Amino acid sequence: MQFRHERLPCGLDVIAEIHDAAHSASLGFFVKTGARDETDAVSGVSHFLEHMVFKGTDRLSAEEINLRFDAMGASANAFTSEEDTVYYAAVLPERQHEAVELLAAIMRPALRAEDFDTEKQVILEEIRMYDDQPPFGADDRCRAAFFGSHPLARSVLGTVESIGLLPVEAMREYHRRRYAPGNLVLAASGAVDFAALVESARRLCGDWEPLTAGDRTAAFQAATAAPPVELITREQAALEYAVRMSAGPAETDNDRFAAKLLAVILGDESGSRLYWDLVDTGQAEHAACHHHDFLDAGVFVTQLSCEPEDTPGLLGRILDLYAEATGGLTAAEVDQARNKLLGRVVLAGERPRQRLFSVGLEWAHTGRYRSVADDLRTLDGLTRDDLERVLTAWPLAGSAATVLAGPLTTATLTA
Amino acid sequence: MKQTLQTATLDNGITLLGEFLPGVESVSVSFHLPAGGICDSLMPSSSGHPCCGLATLTGELMLRGAGSRDSRQIVADLDNAGVQWSQSVSMSHGSIAGAMVARQLPEAVAIFADILRRPTLPDDQFEPARQTVLQDLAGTEDDPAHRTMLALRQAHYPSPWGLPSEGRSADVEALTLADVRRFASSFIQPDGMIIAVAGRIDWPDFVARMEQLFGDWPAAPVPPVTNGDRGSRRCHVPHDSQQTHVAVAWSVPPYRDPESLKVTAALSVLGGGSSSRLFSEVREKRGLCYSVSAGYQTHRDLAAAIAYAGTTAERAQETLDVMLAEIGRLPGSITADELDRVKARAKSGLVMQQESTAARAGALARQWYHLGRVRTLAEDLERLDALSVAGIESWLADHPPLDLTAVSLGRDPLEVPDAISA
Repeated sequence: MQFRHERLPCGLDVIAEIHDAAHSASLGFFVKTGARDETDAVSGVSHFLEHMVFKGTDRLSAEEINLRFDAMGASANAFTSEEDTVYYAAVLPERQHEAVELLAAIMRPALRAEDFDTEKQVILEEIRMYDDQPPFGADDRCRAAFFGSHPLARSVLGTVESIGLLPVEAMREYHRRRYAPGNLVLAASGAVDFAALVESARRLCGDWEPLTAGDRTAAFQAATAAPPVELITREQAALEYAVRMSAGPAETDNDRFAAKLLAVILGDESGSRLYWDLVDTGQAEHAACHHHDFLDAGVFVTQLSCEPEDTPGLLGRILDLYAEATGGLTAAEVDQARNKLLGRVVLAGERPRQRLFSVGLEWAHTGRYRSVADDLRTLDGLTRDDLERVLTAWPLAGSAATVLAGPLTTATLTA
Repeated sequence: MKQTLQTATLDNGITLLGEFLPGVESVSVSFHLPAGGICDSLMPSSSGHPCCGLATLTGELMLRGAGSRDSRQIVADLDNAGVQWSQSVSMSHGSIAGAMVARQLPEAVAIFADILRRPTLPDDQFEPARQTVLQDLAGTEDDPAHRTMLALRQAHYPSPWGLPSEGRSADVEALTLADVRRFASSFIQPDGMIIAVAGRIDWPDFVARMEQLFGDWPAAPVPPVTNGDRGSRRCHVPHDSQQTHVAVAWSVPPYRDPESLKVTAALSVLGGGSSSRLFSEVREKRGLCYSVSAGYQTHRDLAAAIAYAGTTAERAQETLDVMLAEIGRLPGSITADELDRVKARAKSGLVMQQESTAARAGALARQWYHLGRVRTLAEDLERLDALSVAGIESWLADHPPLDLTAVSLGRDPLEVPDAISA
């Protein structure tokens, strides 16, 4: 595998991880914008804009865009998170040019008022769909409680109210500022012709208006006192869904790798401490712990779903498990988790689409390239001491935000 | 590109399938036993209750001890070998599969062989295993789209094909360890078993290894399933939610029928990509919903075309009406451009499958189950190329989508006409 990078005069970074033996090429625009870059007045605009990008340019209708992606046999889609908006297409190598051309075209959408009004209904449906599904908004509420006044507190989807009130002019202005070429990365992986990719980018994106995006980071200090447990009552739900967030290493912290290995030991979907104690025993439907790193903050997210009346007891049990882990990790479990992750990294390395997301997001966030070999080396170098250091510096049993969604009410919880 | 497909059969009936994929370091192996949820119907339980969920519970308990390993040792050994593995039970099969760096294959298949041939089905793990299955069932209660599809299958397929392979809580509550042991001894056996391997494989070594691990396993053929009645063709599941979910199904030929490619192509025109008719008419033009799609679901002898949408209660009737209109309009209206897009998407899918050893191993096993053979990539591409609008239209004219099963889940029932007309 070979890595290439070139920055165009307009500020657009073009990067590729080239794997000649691959059967496909994955291509994507990684826009350094997401919920954290919004204000109250435009809450949800990043995600809504992601939909609008597919609704047409000055020259192309929405229908033509859909037709063209399907006609090239592309597996194309997009997603929006707190920090990123990503548009991607996986195609056979001979379709690289067509795919880049279409992806580049839609980065400059028309944002027509009538399309905006129709698509608003789709966004509202998406909000309602998630509101009907576990964890019934507990994840959004927990992030809001944990991050408080920090930009990472914001909801990606926004609310029925914020989307309902959003004017199209605000989206146009947001797009102009946030989709400037210096704020985008064009990434590719797999069987990529890099010279042709750069040439396409020059021709298609070279005249985009360069604007400087401001600093996106903000100092984050986790609250020393945990906010009160919040409840979202859904009487009809069969289970109770709990989300808990406590502080962890940020993306800028080298301990982010140790934090991920630690989370595998504590709360991977299978074979972890939470799994054996709560899921294997049939006490919980799901119990897991993940580490997420952002530009300026990190979190350990604990998820639990179980019978409503068992929730307080099992949450307490999870804190006990976290406390037991401090000073109590064994060499065998560190090795087991490491071997498991090494296997995952190797297998993911064979899929151009998975590599696109790893390579693109890493570059968009850190401006650096990490190869599969880099990831394997980092994992190999981690020791039990590294994990113990993370556990001490970021006590998982300590201050955290907790939100429960399900049949429990304040009365039943305190009874 | 030259493709290397291999097949072999062991004396006890186990089929071995292999494909060498160039350019990968990994290998994936997939075991499929005809011990799926359908076998629940062949097993009256000791207590006289129906046994819906017995295959799933057996699968769960089999992971809790095998050979000399307990459940923790099974997981520790697979994790230490870097194996990404999964176990599942569908209507037709119980499956276990793993993907790993090629040198770990011998370790992984030895563990899988223990799980399949020497499960200890330990007494002290029965109750936790049952609770785990019950927890999963409670979780699906909170998934409205999943519940809609369960209701659709139940209404559409003849019994017992419409039953949920994951089980029913009341049945699972009544199952005993003796039921699980009887199920395992009756159905966890080599007759009809398929083992597929794809990636960086050494075929002669693999065949020898399978012969050594499974060659002396005696077969005990499974009796055939007798199909019963179909459910009522209209069903509404009351559910207090913001969205109403609607799903419709009609019968189409199964995958092994030579006509099935015409069916899947027609369904792809209807609801396959973002340029499909349902996506375009329901979501893009009218903004009625976020998720809408159509697809194909096949068993060996039965198959269904399925269309689905989830939308706000107030707009559910309009959504269903537009869906039904598009389904009714399909015969006689497919264009050459639409078929070209279907072909382009299918071709990409087939070629990109070569990049995933896990996807390839699964596909080999599925093809063998349905066809009794494996098609090469070249053959699949040729079949796609041979598809014509006239061929699809001729089939649709003879088999228009009528006699729909329709279900909804939400606050209010919807109106469904008795038949749809073009």
